[in-house]
Amino acid sequence: MRRIASGRRGAVGIGTKTLGAVVTVVAFASIAAPGARAQSATPGGMPPPPGMSLARSAAMRFPQPVRVGDLLHRDVLQPVESQNVLGTVRDVVRDSKGTILVVMNFGGFLGFGSRPIAVPVDAMALLGQDMEVVAFTPGQLRHFPSFASSDGVPLSPDAVIKVGLAKPSH
Amino acid sequence: MKSPFRPDTVPDPAILGLHRPLIRSLRRRGLIRGGFSLGALAMLTGCDVHRPEAVESALLAVSRWNDQVQAWLFDPNHLAPTYPESMILKPPKFNAYYDVMHVKPVNGATWRLELSGLIADKQPWTVQQLEALPQRSMVIKHICVEGWSYIGGWSGVPLRTFLEHVGADLRAKYVAFQTADNYPSSIDMATALHPQTLLATKYAGETLADPFGYPVRLRTSTKLGYKNPKWITSIEVTNTYPGGYWESRGFNWFAGI
Repeated sequence: MRRIASGRRGAVGIGTKTLGAVVTVVAFASIAAPGARAQSATPGGMPPPPGMSLARSAAMRFPQPVRVGDLLHRDVLQPVESQNVLGTVRDVVRDSKGTILVVMNFGGFLGFGSRPIAVPVDAMALLGQDMEVVAFTPGQLRHFPSFASSDGVPLSPDAVIKVGLAKPSH
Repeated sequence: MKSPFRPDTVPDPAILGLHRPLIRSLRRRGLIRGGFSLGALAMLTGCDVHRPEAVESALLAVSRWNDQVQAWLFDPNHLAPTYPESMILKPPKFNAYYDVMHVKPVNGATWRLELSGLIADKQPWTVQQLEALPQRSMVIKHICVEGWSYIGGWSGVPLRTFLEHVGADLRAKYVAFQTADNYPSSIDMATALHPQTLLATKYAGETLADPFGYPVRLRTSTKLGYKNPKWITSIEVTNTYPGGYWESRGFNWFAGI
């Protein structure tokens, strides 16, 4: 499912016949890649080292300003090569302690059976058009309590927050 | 039925095991891998498949041939599609051969762009000097060899304008880049002179952020993402093939789209 999605996004937008032919040639060129594994020599989305606070590890990810409205409905991925979709972003809220949390529809199948959980934004990273949970495994997320609307106040879609980055995990 | 083309002596099947890492690396091209049998391998090399170097050099010969075909097909006046500014992904997607926490920001105040090779005026450049040259903006798709893409908005001086300004020999074959993150890269002169090849200093109208190549990176609309070095520190115009980081690891050099 993930692969189909990224294939759609990765569709080459240059439509002329000539350039189409170039694309074909490039496809063949890639077989001439002895020893080349993938673009990534080191994995992306590595979890923070044990004992490091989420805030500190997020600060190492060069947090970038992003509009809250641009985060809504994004896929949330697991930072592994298969980029499993863990859920989608439903809301961004601030809890009573001032922590910014990303509320995601977690789990389920084809949109059914998911439940909202709130993940600290410092445990997540931006990956292009998607987000990733870098500090928690899916197993840990399963034990997160379901989010109730009284647990946080939604941020305006025009609010700008800072979120760390990750490189692709494939 | 036995094929009439079957040779009397067939290659040792152990050869496939020998080349397994190479074949596994082709997983993105399932179609090609599907046709990648022992017989095909023997035909591809046309020589001694017992020697891994022979296989590798044959594959690299194909890649070099692809470079030539792509250079021949390249239309220096054909523009890649552009998109409305509303489609710009903010912030852009980060990628490098290392994860983001290992990015080493460059100090723009002390940064200088060094020039070498077939260039008349080799005075180093500051960011302010670069930004004083005529600027161009473009909203183009960044297409990665890994299969993903995003739409980004880039501004900066066209590389053609810069090369003309410093008196580069525009008949030279290559324009090569060195970067602060040890990611050497190079492109053909035709692409360097393409109107959609910029020395980008801004993204979505804002100064380029550290992880995306501040102060200067290359953005070309006609090549794959890995041909767009970030944190550029020097430019060389040369007729000697300069190669590049991924190219020396087997990626195709021209990498046109």
